[in-house]
Amino acid sequence: MSYIEEDEESGPPLYCERPEWADVTPIPQYEGVSSPIAPIFYTPDYKDATDYFRGIVKTGETSERVLELTEDIIRMNPAHYSAWQYRYRTLLALNAPLDAELRLMDDFAVNNLKTYQVWHHRRLLITHLTVSTPGAKPTADPLDTAQAELEFIVHVLDVDTKNYHTWSYRQWLLAHFDDSALWLGELPYVDELLQADVRNNSAWHHRYFVVFGRGSKAQATPAEEAEVLQREIRYVKGKISFAPNNISAWNYLRGILEYSKTPFSSQAVFAESYTVRRAPWDDEDVVDLDNPKPSTDADLPSVSAMDFLAEAYAREGGDSITKAVDLWKALANQHDTMRKKYWEFRIKESLETKSG
Amino acid sequence: MSETSPVLPLNRGGHVGHCKRFLAGLPAGAVEADASRVAIGFYCLGSLDLLGTLETKTRPEERAAWIRWMWEQQSVCGYGTGFKGSNYMTIDIRSPPSAQYAEYDTPNLIMTYTSILSLAILRDDLSRLDRKGLVQFVRSCQREDGSFSALPSGGETDLRCVYCAFAISSMLNDWTGIDLNRALAYIRRCEDYEGGYGQQPSDEALGGTTYCALASLYLAPSNASAQRLIDSAFRARTIRWLLHNQAVDGGFSGRTNKISDACYCFWCGASLAILGAGDLVDNAALVAFLARCQFSMGGLAKAPEKPADPYHTYMALAAAAVLPSPHVNETWTLSRLDVLWNTTEGTAAWLRKHLTEKA
Ligand SMILES: [Zn+2]
Repeated sequence: MSYIEEDEESGPPLYCERPEWADVTPIPQYEGVSSPIAPIFYTPDYKDATDYFRGIVKTGETSERVLELTEDIIRMNPAHYSAWQYRYRTLLALNAPLDAELRLMDDFAVNNLKTYQVWHHRRLLITHLTVSTPGAKPTADPLDTAQAELEFIVHVLDVDTKNYHTWSYRQWLLAHFDDSALWLGELPYVDELLQADVRNNSAWHHRYFVVFGRGSKAQATPAEEAEVLQREIRYVKGKISFAPNNISAWNYLRGILEYSKTPFSSQAVFAESYTVRRAPWDDEDVVDLDNPKPSTDADLPSVSAMDFLAEAYAREGGDSITKAVDLWKALANQHDTMRKKYWEFRIKESLETKSG
Repeated sequence: MSETSPVLPLNRGGHVGHCKRFLAGLPAGAVEADASRVAIGFYCLGSLDLLGTLETKTRPEERAAWIRWMWEQQSVCGYGTGFKGSNYMTIDIRSPPSAQYAEYDTPNLIMTYTSILSLAILRDDLSRLDRKGLVQFVRSCQREDGSFSALPSGGETDLRCVYCAFAISSMLNDWTGIDLNRALAYIRRCEDYEGGYGQQPSDEALGGTTYCALASLYLAPSNASAQRLIDSAFRARTIRWLLHNQAVDGGFSGRTNKISDACYCFWCGASLAILGAGDLVDNAALVAFLARCQFSMGGLAKAPEKPADPYHTYMALAAAAVLPSPHVNETWTLSRLDVLWNTTEGTAAWLRKHLTEKA
């Protein structure tokens, strides 16, 4: 349903030159004062199209040719939100096939990943396509539609694995349709992304959202919840063992411990092996599956591990504070000097709490 | 790192030139800014304000014309009164358009916030501001879940719009446009496990929206509700996350494991300043990074070797203003910043005198 001429080089004629638009009165933009702020030196095409757009909005026309005009404008300026709004209104007024509109928007989204309107328009289309009204079935099957969207987003995230709008849209889809069949595929997908790039914080965040953020999962029993937590702790520790300095993974570990109110000290043994340069357990035969050791080529000590272990000690309080202070001193003076003032602040703060 | 290489001096003249060029006009390639020229104006005027050169480097008749143009963006609609981002849909300001047309040319909440700041920077007395209409407009932008959208007719709802509503209400000293309990609950729902705030609930922690959340919580009237108080454990998490966004190159990233960007030097740095932790930043490394973001033709870019733009120029200067480092290089001394309103202290004082205290 694209109205764009295939051969864009020659350029389509201006609207003011086209007889089929002769019945529309173009309206120029009000120019106002003689020296406005940041005026834009428009191209003749953009000025022509927006003159006709203002003319159309004034008469309130909602016809096929309005789709052509608004598509033209958003291709020149994807942030023209009036054109987006008016396009959506026209689609509804014409009872136009919204799945065709979605396909038109597929490429558009990939080429304009950072434009908010692209994603908002999609939300409106998907919602409208799948809404059921009393006595009438939705135009499209909600589950099939959502599944197809999730697949489309995989394709978009291939282009930019950390695109904020795209992730936000994926999370909206999952929450909006909230069907177990949809949620089921998410952890394997996240795992795939983390295998490709373990430092992808958006993927870690999505994992947290899927495991702990699903509002409707309240049916889980405490035993099931405990099992999920253990599974996640094992998972993240496995990822840390391959890349001990990856702060995204450490933040995930901290996040799930905070969420489940599990003391950091429960993971002190694990963290400790990442805080020393030479691993004394190199010769040990016993493999502790719950506490995977750093890989032999790991760059140690890990600043994040020291930060974690110090936090665990500090929360234990009492004599453990001294051990936290030693770690913070090492961070401040040797391993993470950029945050020297922060680590010194932590030392000061904890000693005040201890004495106070 | 800051010890090894001297910090490049602030290229004041170059940055003034950059801002003046953008105030004068944008090339056709910048057409995506068509609906938000007010924001471009704010970044340029705000930069000149931070540099302390607005009065000396622009002529009174230029400033008068800009003020006239700004006021032309104030418009009355069925939702109240606010500012439009530009005249891109305006057909005639003498006779109001039909209600049908006006629906596609409404004021915008984000643009309203930046317009008020721009007018104050230009030292307009703000007497033409339709205060009652403005409060009504703010109210019509709030959604059921407590969030705000930029347009009263719908569209994007997120923490940026919440912040603009809070900033406007605090400037007017009139909070009747906001259902505070619902708005504060929404802010809370944007808390992320890392310690920052996402753009919307369950979004990834992001520097810009963390600033919006914190500034809103600190702007909220002290009698609002206990919800405006930040739990001390979460505050500690926020400080830790923000400080860890400072990378080895001295700049801040907006999210964990992303690369440094001059705008996040402000969003993260200002967030820390709000929390009273600004002095924990390695500001020598920070200013060294900002100095490398200076573009040879003037202006600042998001990162070294990138082209400059008004947004990053303003944000980089604001970062240097909110986390000063006079001991490192004194050319980088700028006007002091009011961190909650994100404008110079001089402009904030002007706003208080002409707006807040006239309530
Ligand atoms: Zn940026």
